[in-house]
Amino acid sequence: MALLLIVVVCLGGGAVAYLVIRRPEDVSAAISATPSRVRARGWGLLLVPIALVAGLLGASFWWLTPVAILLVVFGPKVATRLVPWALLAFGCLGFWIAKYGALDGETYGFVPVGSHRNVHWWGAGESPWLVPEAALFLAAGVLLFLRLDAPGATLFRRLVGRLHGGAGGPWALLLLPVLAMIMELFGLGWLGMNAGPIPSVVADLAITAAGVVFVLRRPERAAAAALAGLVFLGGYGLLLAAFWPSVPGGFFGAILVENRATAVIGGVQGAALLFAAARLAPRIYRGLPDEELAARAEQLTERVETLTQTRSDAVDTAAAELRRIERDLHDGAQARLVALGMSLQAAERLFGTNPDAALALVSEAKETSSRALTELRDLVRGIYPPVLADRGLGDAIRALALDTPLYTVVDVDLPAEVELPVGSAMYFAVAEILANAAKHSGARTIRVQLTHERDVLRAQVTDDGAGGADPANGTGLTGVERRLATFDGILAMSSPPGGPTIVVIEVPCALSSPKTSSC
Amino acid sequence: MRVVIAEDLFLLREGLVRLLEAHGFEIVAAVGTAPELFTALVEHRPDIGIVDVRLPPTNTDDGLRAAIQAREKVPGLPVLVLSQYVEQLYARELLADQAGGVGYLLKDRVFNDESFTGAIRTVAAGGTVLDPEVVQKLLNKHSRTKPIGRLTPRELQVLALMAEGRSNAAIAQRLHITEKAISKHAAGIFTKLDLALSDDDNRRVLAVLAYLES
Repeated sequence: MALLLIVVVCLGGGAVAYLVIRRPEDVSAAISATPSRVRARGWGLLLVPIALVAGLLGASFWWLTPVAILLVVFGPKVATRLVPWALLAFGCLGFWIAKYGALDGETYGFVPVGSHRNVHWWGAGESPWLVPEAALFLAAGVLLFLRLDAPGATLFRRLVGRLHGGAGGPWALLLLPVLAMIMELFGLGWLGMNAGPIPSVVADLAITAAGVVFVLRRPERAAAAALAGLVFLGGYGLLLAAFWPSVPGGFFGAILVENRATAVIGGVQGAALLFAAARLAPRIYRGLPDEELAARAEQLTERVETLTQTRSDAVDTAAAELRRIERDLHDGAQARLVALGMSLQAAERLFGTNPDAALALVSEAKETSSRALTELRDLVRGIYPPVLADRGLGDAIRALALDTPLYTVVDVDLPAEVELPVGSAMYFAVAEILANAAKHSGARTIRVQLTHERDVLRAQVTDDGAGGADPANGTGLTGVERRLATFDGILAMSSPPGGPTIVVIEVPCALSSPKTSSC
Repeated sequence: MRVVIAEDLFLLREGLVRLLEAHGFEIVAAVGTAPELFTALVEHRPDIGIVDVRLPPTNTDDGLRAAIQAREKVPGLPVLVLSQYVEQLYARELLADQAGGVGYLLKDRVFNDESFTGAIRTVAAGGTVLDPEVVQKLLNKHSRTKPIGRLTPRELQVLALMAEGRSNAAIAQRLHITEKAISKHAAGIFTKLDLALSDDDNRRVLAVLAYLES
């Protein structure tokens, strides 16, 4: 061993001497560049002191330091990413030593390892500083794990995200300590940390691994299981306090139950666990997944999207409609009433001097008022057809059919009256379809069927025309479709060349239902 | 002539009363709701009831329904229905009992007081008067599919006026041709439509309307 060291030192010294003598400029460049190189290696440099400290474990660990130096020099990135794992490994080793008392007489970090075996993992016995130091290393490893993007950090982030996103939240992780405590009750260790026969170690590892998988795959169920475990442990603690020594003692969590006093402390711990379970239960159960609820949430999201779209369409349509009404009134009836007033005014002035001319003006005024009325009538029909207000949808469709200049048969099968808004939408949709059929189809007869089944209001318009109609072809049906969408209604059309053309409209609608429904 | 008026808008009701009184009609009742109308029609048995379609209490077609009910109770009770708009559907319902003495006009027709009082007299005498707008829609419907398509434009004009409930004399006056010419046109129309020609004005109107509505 000493020979090897001498050889290494000689070779190293020789190489340095050679460089200083033959290539001084390289050396000076290397020296001046050192700070930046150090910076570039950054956290990776930590690997060297870690290796040095680990080397204190014993002579057989001498090789750690040169390997660390080589890694830092030639693979700075790898070195950086190894630092967290090195810290974690060294921390775990500390716990391992505390538990099993290996490496007697050596030094762990700066703490001499005692010879006392069977030390519990929090480090009682001869080396009280061993476990705190191991915990420090572990904590440093955990802190740097994500910061330095150690191998596995991405996976860890994803898993944590999953736990947070899951309905059970981070509480699923609680299962692991609960599992450890329960296993301890049955004489098993955690992560195989109890010296024992091989089968029990295998069982430890298998159960722990299953717990981890459970936590990751089904975090919400794992959270619920952790809660159940807490209740069990709490109950066990209370039993321990009440019935000791009939209930077997041993380690219960952090307490070694050996007499009545420690049993009572165990009971207090049990009560604390029960209290924790009671506090956690609502949080965990509020987050429990309900598959029905999830499906409902998805449905609602979809519904909100549809409603946003159709509401915006409805607002646009209503605004356009109001604008049309305003324009019609302004250019029509309003203008005619102004003309009427002017005619009457002129007539009034002419009465004394030219009665004939005055009479002519009065007849003209009469004519104008009649035209204004006609225009108002047409406007009202377009806003809300009076016959629909008077008689409801069935008769309104019949009246529509009578006004259609084609032979039109109407079948109405409505058990009750349709709510006004849906009725109006249906009326105008059918009116548009009938107008299209009369204008474009070349049909001789049209059949309109109006039915209401299973809360769906349905109108089917069939004509015996030439067919080949395309709803996208400026027939106004797209507008109808958009207006129907406000009521969750749909329009379907079949028009093969040669006919017949069938247009079907369906609007979900409970008859005579309260206003809050879609009707 | 004794008249019952039903109109819910005060201004229009008073206007009608004044107009009809100016023309020498006797107003026996002027009411504003459908139940009042029914009672007035059945109790007073007027020579004619002039009825607005839309009346309280529901402000839908209460007036029309009250008039039809009253005619069920008093068959042939002459009723002239006025409305802001005309529907073929309502015209059919009014004409359904084939009893005559029915009129259905837009409210604007009141402006022309001569033709309005003429219509009142026709209906009171058991005739039928239909608004030109209704007749036009009826003709539109059949212009493509029925023998009506074979009528000359003049014959169509005559047919429309006949359907409105006008006598030969009235049609002749309107079209500025002789009554004899109208008789000839009427005969031509009825032959083309394959209808039996009747001298009775009311029957003739009903025949034409029945044909158009079939």
